[in-house]
Amino acid sequence: MSKPTKSRSVEEINEKIRKGDVQVLTAEEMKKLVDSSGVEVAFKEVDVVTTGTFGAMCSSGAVINLGHSDPPIKIDHAWMNDVKVCHPGAAVDLFIGATNMSESQPFEYGGGHVIQDLIAGEEVELRATAYGTDCYPRTQLKTNITKDDLNQFCLMNFRNCYQRYNCAVNTSDEIIYTYMSKLLPRLRNATFSGAGELNPLMNDPDYETIGMGSRIFLGGGQGYVIGEGTQHSPKNLNGTLMVKGDAKKMSPEFIQGAAFTRYGTSMYVGLGIPIPVLNEGLAKKTAIRDSEIFTDVVDYSVPRRDRPKLRQVSYKELKSGCITINDKKVRVSSLSSLKMAKKVASTLKSWIEEGRFFLTSPVERLPTESVFKPMRQTEEIPFVVSVMHSAVTCTENEEIRAIAERIVTKSVNHIVVVDEVGKLLGIVTSWDITRAMAEGKKSLAEIESRNVITTKPDEPLEVASKRMAQHNISALPVIDIEKKVMGIVTAEDVSKLLGR
Amino acid sequence: MVRILLRFSEEQVSQPIASEIIIQYKVPMAILAAHVNSKGGEILAEIPDDVQEKVIKAFRERGVSATVPKLIEVDKEKCFSCGSCVALCPVEAISIDAECTVQFDKEKCVGSTCSVCVDACPARAIKSVKQNNNGHSSNDRKNK
Repeated sequence: MSKPTKSRSVEEINEKIRKGDVQVLTAEEMKKLVDSSGVEVAFKEVDVVTTGTFGAMCSSGAVINLGHSDPPIKIDHAWMNDVKVCHPGAAVDLFIGATNMSESQPFEYGGGHVIQDLIAGEEVELRATAYGTDCYPRTQLKTNITKDDLNQFCLMNFRNCYQRYNCAVNTSDEIIYTYMSKLLPRLRNATFSGAGELNPLMNDPDYETIGMGSRIFLGGGQGYVIGEGTQHSPKNLNGTLMVKGDAKKMSPEFIQGAAFTRYGTSMYVGLGIPIPVLNEGLAKKTAIRDSEIFTDVVDYSVPRRDRPKLRQVSYKELKSGCITINDKKVRVSSLSSLKMAKKVASTLKSWIEEGRFFLTSPVERLPTESVFKPMRQTEEIPFVVSVMHSAVTCTENEEIRAIAERIVTKSVNHIVVVDEVGKLLGIVTSWDITRAMAEGKKSLAEIESRNVITTKPDEPLEVASKRMAQHNISALPVIDIEKKVMGIVTAEDVSKLLGR
Repeated sequence: MVRILLRFSEEQVSQPIASEIIIQYKVPMAILAAHVNSKGGEILAEIPDDVQEKVIKAFRERGVSATVPKLIEVDKEKCFSCGSCVALCPVEAISIDAECTVQFDKEKCVGSTCSVCVDACPARAIKSVKQNNNGHSSNDRKNK
């Protein structure tokens, strides 16, 4: 009698696919089976677990080859439907970057939309210019093309499939528009991205089966993992993949252009990976639940690389639609589509069951120890703290005349109104005082601005400067976390340093 | 109950038009959303069905644009149910069902006076509809 097998190989699984008796479950179904019957049974019964994700993946694009025009052109600059595309190689090879924006409809239409339109079979206008050479004399080109006219139309995504991502919030008093979408002031909403327990890398966190050469579901067609993605950081569960696939065979349902207001354009990519259940360990790993996957709630109102982390939160909480931050209930939205992620996993499952998709063993393992480094910066940029100076202040019960005198003696234009412990109440400018005189107003309360636009010491000066321009004001009180006034920064200080 | 969208011009804002109508016709009027300043304003109000016609007529006689608003339009072909809009909605008119599909409840939506979801849709599937069903479009304001 043979011993019960403790492992199976990819070849054995492919043989079962060929025979039509392979057992495939989606990641969602696998978790339920492990819950009800245990890892041992799940391993015995299941050959493959399909995973999926469908989210905005900015570091995506497509390599295309146009064929030669007559007379031939060595393209220098090119646009497709008004979206600037790159010419990273020889004469007629172009790269359509997902985030490049249309020059006529910026922020609404971009490279992701061009790729989606091409995949959908639509005609796209191509314009190009060149400097002209003896071998490529042509300097101007305008033509319309479809995917069938292209020699190659290859989706080439250098960072896809983020294992997990931050949950974004905004603690400031103003609405901000980010790549994590619209974030309302004072924690009025939160956004997150990622499929959690359905994400491919979460189901094979040690990269036992996912590696260089793994065949995957990509954009509704078949593609391949061609290496670690940029910023791959597996050690802290922020792995990514670099992938490619024949875009001619993809579907516009699974590759969709996207527009993020005041951020730019991007592309949603449907990506799914089959995990061969080679051993019990993998059966156990594919049973991971949303409640075991954590991410940070990050304050995007701080315009710095290392933004404050407010707490850790599980994908289970995120998917519930509401999380608690500082005792406040905050409604949370997903940016990636769970509905589409499930569709990716179930489509991939049916392909395998129908014998249309075979699994591959990786030809090389992906790094499992690397971490993502910050940029080396050889030039320092100024922050508010480097130009702020002490603010001239007053209290609310002072007379206008006394404040006017202070403006003259201290030779400033702005007086910051504070309470007895130095907390910000308002601001008065020399213009307000002039107006008070002209209109015969007596009390400070009548003329001070209470809705004060402020800055913080660790804010980049450029951001503070932009805020002043936005609100058409000439100074910002610098406050700490408790709203205590630490100083003031004026437009004059900024122009001295930044020369504008 | 039916919703009516009232648009006041700069000259009308200072007049107690809505109060006059409420008193004259004894209409209970629930104000769902309002954006009013010295330059003009918009009020989304809810009134009983049976007084709809006479109330709209009364506002129009006083020169106020009164319409039954079509609130938002969702292009179901374009929407891929990411859900970005869900947490933004102040009246919880947007939800995700058991199949993870985003659903819009037009009964709850307060429409063009809010529109917070519109520019948050990465698929650009949501349109705020300012047009109404009685021939009074937002262009009317310019003509006044």
